[in-house]
Amino acid sequence: MSRALAVASIIALWLLSLSGQSAALELKETPYLADQVAAGTLAPISQRLPRTPYQDGMDEWPQLQPGKSGGSISLLMGKAKDVRQMVVYGYARLVGFNQALELEADLLQDYEVQEGRIFTLRLRPGHRWSDGHPFTSEDFRYYWEDVINNSELYSFGPPRALLVEGKLARFEVIDAVTVRYSWDQPNPDFLLSLAGPSPLYIYRPAHFLKQFHPRFTDSKTLQGRVALAKTKNKTWTSLHQRNDHQYKFDNPELPTLQPWVPVTAAPAERFNFVRNPYYHRIDPQGYQLPYLDQVIINVASSRLVPAKTGSGESDLQGRYLSMSHYTFLHEGAERNNVDVRLWRTTRGSQLAIYPNLNASDPVWRALFQQVDFRRALSLAINRHEINQVIYFGLALEGADSLLPESPLYQPQYRNRWASYDPSEANRMLDALGLTRRDSRGVRLLADGRPLEIIIQSAGESTEETDILELIHDGWLEIGLKIHTKPTAREVFRNRVFSGDALMSVWTGLPNAIPSASMSPAQLAPTSQQQLQWSQWGKHYETGHGEVPDLAAAQQLLALNDQWRWATEPSQRQAIWQQMLDIYSDNVFSIGTVARVLQPIVIRRNLRNLPTEGLWNWEPNAYFGVYRLDRLWLDDNAASTTTLTAGGS
Amino acid sequence: MRTDLTGQALREHWVTDKPFDPQSIAAITPDQERYYFASQWQLIWWRFKRHRLALVCGVFLLLMYASILISEFMAPYALPTRHTNFIYSPPQPVHLIHEGEFIGPFVYGWSPTLNMTKLLREYSEDRSQVYPLAFFCKGDPYQFWGLWQGDRHLFCAPEGATLFILGTDRLGRDMLSRITYGARVSLTIGLIGILVSFTLGIIIGGLAGYYGGWIDSVVQRITEVIQSFPQLPLWMALSAILPVTWSPLWVFFGITLILAMLDWTGLARAVRSKLLSLREEDYCLAAQLMGAKPHRIIGRHLLPGLFSHLIASVTLSIPAMILGETALSFLGLGLRPPITSWGVLLNEAQNINVVAIYPWLMFPVLPVIVIILAFNFFGDGLRDAADPY
Amino acid sequence: MARYILNRVLLMIPTLILISFIIFVIIQLPPGDYLESYISELESQGESIDPLQIDMLRKQYGLDEPFLIQYLTWSTGMLHGDFGYSFEYGLPVNEVVGDRLFLTTVISIFTIIFTWVVAFPIGMYSATHKYSWSDYSLTFLGFLGLATPNFLLALVMLYFANVTFGTSIGGLMAAEYINQPWSWDKIKSVLEHLWIPVVVIGTSGTAGMIRRLRANLLDELHKPYVVTARAKGVPPFRLLVKYPLRVALNFFIADIGNMLPSIISGAEIVAVVMSLPTTGPILIAALQSQDMYLAGSFLMFLAILTVIGVLISDLALALLDPRIRLYGEPS
Repeated sequence: MSRALAVASIIALWLLSLSGQSAALELKETPYLADQVAAGTLAPISQRLPRTPYQDGMDEWPQLQPGKSGGSISLLMGKAKDVRQMVVYGYARLVGFNQALELEADLLQDYEVQEGRIFTLRLRPGHRWSDGHPFTSEDFRYYWEDVINNSELYSFGPPRALLVEGKLARFEVIDAVTVRYSWDQPNPDFLLSLAGPSPLYIYRPAHFLKQFHPRFTDSKTLQGRVALAKTKNKTWTSLHQRNDHQYKFDNPELPTLQPWVPVTAAPAERFNFVRNPYYHRIDPQGYQLPYLDQVIINVASSRLVPAKTGSGESDLQGRYLSMSHYTFLHEGAERNNVDVRLWRTTRGSQLAIYPNLNASDPVWRALFQQVDFRRALSLAINRHEINQVIYFGLALEGADSLLPESPLYQPQYRNRWASYDPSEANRMLDALGLTRRDSRGVRLLADGRPLEIIIQSAGESTEETDILELIHDGWLEIGLKIHTKPTAREVFRNRVFSGDALMSVWTGLPNAIPSASMSPAQLAPTSQQQLQWSQWGKHYETGHGEVPDLAAAQQLLALNDQWRWATEPSQRQAIWQQMLDIYSDNVFSIGTVARVLQPIVIRRNLRNLPTEGLWNWEPNAYFGVYRLDRLWLDDNAASTTTLTAGGS
Repeated sequence: MRTDLTGQALREHWVTDKPFDPQSIAAITPDQERYYFASQWQLIWWRFKRHRLALVCGVFLLLMYASILISEFMAPYALPTRHTNFIYSPPQPVHLIHEGEFIGPFVYGWSPTLNMTKLLREYSEDRSQVYPLAFFCKGDPYQFWGLWQGDRHLFCAPEGATLFILGTDRLGRDMLSRITYGARVSLTIGLIGILVSFTLGIIIGGLAGYYGGWIDSVVQRITEVIQSFPQLPLWMALSAILPVTWSPLWVFFGITLILAMLDWTGLARAVRSKLLSLREEDYCLAAQLMGAKPHRIIGRHLLPGLFSHLIASVTLSIPAMILGETALSFLGLGLRPPITSWGVLLNEAQNINVVAIYPWLMFPVLPVIVIILAFNFFGDGLRDAADPY
Repeated sequence: MARYILNRVLLMIPTLILISFIIFVIIQLPPGDYLESYISELESQGESIDPLQIDMLRKQYGLDEPFLIQYLTWSTGMLHGDFGYSFEYGLPVNEVVGDRLFLTTVISIFTIIFTWVVAFPIGMYSATHKYSWSDYSLTFLGFLGLATPNFLLALVMLYFANVTFGTSIGGLMAAEYINQPWSWDKIKSVLEHLWIPVVVIGTSGTAGMIRRLRANLLDELHKPYVVTARAKGVPPFRLLVKYPLRVALNFFIADIGNMLPSIISGAEIVAVVMSLPTTGPILIAALQSQDMYLAGSFLMFLAILTVIGVLISDLALALLDPRIRLYGEPS
């Protein structure tokens, strides 16, 4: 391989960056770091930034304005492990989504895709890790050769996102800042997984991790490190893995590229993150981002988060809040100097019911596979009532399909089989031959069992119980009785997988605002986690499980494959439309309401977060695409409240 | 007792100059005769009656338990009834006097307005509409004991009006009705649970106490192991292994059994130690010498001496069971909706929204407190009365 | 006496072995293992994880080994101070508990003091004024604490403390003092927060204490020596304090066995509601996420404390009562 070349070019780069190359814009030193620069312990800004930093134009929306560097905010998380949300919120990715949900280079200077299968990634020359070491193609090479292709470290083989049809990509280091991945066939998921909220990391801080790798460290030194390690197994692989959690974000020693760097080691109740002095983005005035010097995460039980937020103990909070907390949060807003904004969730449905097409009971399975049965169930849900009772009529009623925010949205998918029409539903069930009823008016199956269904739920929110109670009444009208069975989460999934659960309830489509370039896999049986056809999904994932035997499901799978081959946007668009059409016509999941309001609490003088936004894991990475590194504290605002108010 | 302690009555010493009749002490008055020949239970009853509060509590508990037999009739609405136009209604005031005129209990018209800036439903009375309450009226139909259809309620809302004396919850269900139905589950869980732990405790403790020796040692070890276990993980583990296919009713029994299985140790220890001391009493020795078999001695001589104590300690542990159920529900291990128990209701109230905005949803805490207080005072009275000699 | 002690100590060994086995069985009883609950937790937030990685972790954590092997590794490890590894924290168990143990002890001791301060006067008063209205109303107050479900009381108190005094909700100190070295301001902040859990946990214990003290005192007050002392003119209060109260307090000694573990574990449910930095929430979270070594070792620790506590109280009672020494165990 071209390792020698890579090393040579690192040295070249190092020299280059020392010569103090600067962009056309005049760079200004960050006040927070000025002392360290003056004392000589930190290089001046011109040498910390890449030669071509990402210059944030800050012009996507009118109120977005360059701000002032400094200050800190604190937020609340339910568990110490949730510090990983800082990677989600921080959202420094090789390529990432912008607010319009288009992919653009972020850590990368640029990238090039040929035939949908050859990806050339170019780094920013002079880009550095948070400890000041250059970020180069060596970091990619280390990951490729010494991590995933090391049979001890990755004994189960490389991550599946790097395989297409079971074949690993070819990896080349072109020069110190350029790498290339090529597959034989198109890999449309590659860039998407780099941009994901929990991204695929195809690089590692090689200079840091080499000290734990036998190839780069002599065995005696390594043995010593292994012996001291706080790992379960005293092996170098455990030690390496432990120090290598870029997503967990709990290792202050691990260099990072995120806007804020962790400084508190777990276990703790309060985690500090300070600005990364080598972060690659600057604002239009020439100040380095992020504006905020510090982000503090306080850990409190998730049940208390709404209460604490309502008493002003969080400067920016969305997680653990739900629409039902709005009234309470609103009451405290004035007193605590915060704003409560209403964003929207973007799942296909806040709550969807999944008939288990892979149920182990043959009679039920056959019934669920009847499309008219699923349609009848959907018609018998009074979505308007659910909306009025639980969401003040502010949610969007309809099937489990895309939302108007998506460029692929068409109202017919959302409205199909989603109007409340019990008499039509009754007629359809009669036509299916379910005409006999018992004394309670519950229909009987062909073998004489009543149409009583136990719906498995993970039983975590009262919202879920409430919606199910409303559905219960509607379905009783068409002669179907449901019982809700709350179980622990892990039991819940296992019962669905084994086919014991007849129906389950969970959230709807994970991403209901996709564009044609995003994968439509969520509409086809592609994962065991899909509750309506987990066995079929398992088959797609692993080759075990059952082969889909329903025409519509096979069709969806075929279309999903076609989408993967397609490289033209228009082709992809057409395939998406076809899949949406099949999915909603077959009612594979029964939707209720969507676009539910999500309260976001924000300190009043915290600028640059939009008033309206979308709150979801994928693709927005919650606050991620709104770029928290742009947030700044406006001292001139009327409020003078201290940041950690409420603390006596 | 009281005067003894303060010492008032004992300060003055004086001698009566009446003639002394030595027979006056030995002779038995009719009152004394009644006392000496009374059975143990009678004595307990007499002593118990002196404890006024305990007596009141006992009657109250009896009424409560009687009421759960007819929850359907007592509750103004049926359990599943929802009023989707009256969500989060605060308690609706019941009035007696309208414009200076007494017309018995009545409610005014009651209607919500939506406050869309706060996302809050605000309720107001319409003073122009007067709806006198109806008693023994026709209301929501119900299946009484699964036997026959009924629709009579003790009281209910008049035609065209609503009656939410304790307000409604997030689906517009009447809190008073839910509490009334919840009592059925919460009160029986205590009773059934205690029955099981009582039986276990008596049998195991009795064996250990009477036979002693190795049986005693084994039982002692087992109780020690169970008691040195923090209860929480036991609850969690045991309720996790309840089969998922069980219907809510069976889960209910399962939980009761779990509570009981952990509760018997205390009782067994009490039975054992009491038996150990009673066994040494002379009357026991006498029975043995006369050739009585062990089961006769336990059943005829030892248990009666024990029973009063046991009943007292049982009444004191029923509240623990009721509280245990609420705690289990809190951990998400106990009963869960759609079953309605006080624990489930309280768990739903365990929410900052409720505390700050909908405080009436915390009403279920009142019956819990009242019932537990009543059991405690009743049990205290019983215990004081238990040893009449 | 030495023989009696030896006997008791030797008896502890099989008990502890039995307990350790039961603990391990019980934490393994719920279906699934740590990784399954980890996956489903990620799923509920919309995240997912590569199945290959899970297989790797399962192997690494030794979760694929048979039950008995896992038990033996854990139990023999404990003998030389290795309490296993917490999957959730990715740290050896000893390092997870950290200074939470200290804060738990602080809360527990304050709670015990609170309970005694409230229960003592009430218990004494209501024993000497049996069946009076003041007796009823004081015991009523005591029972009120017992009857109110703690978890609800905790939330209500948190909310109102915040609204009226501006105390931050939950936790044991204002956020800015966490991770800071101890200082006066930090202690002040801790005291500001401490009273809520102390009152909430304490109120549930006072009723039991009042009742026992009252019952024991009543028993003593009947005894002839009290009458004799009174007849000899000992002032009432002195009479009460000097002998009956001391005898009535014997039950405290018998209670050490229960007290020791509860000092360490604290009141778990209240601690969870209030998000206290104590050991309770760790234990509950570990049980829920099936972080089995953390849960198991902590439970084992509690069980050992109970057994030691029982031993101490037995020894103390034996010292006080020669009959027990001679005939074996106290009843």
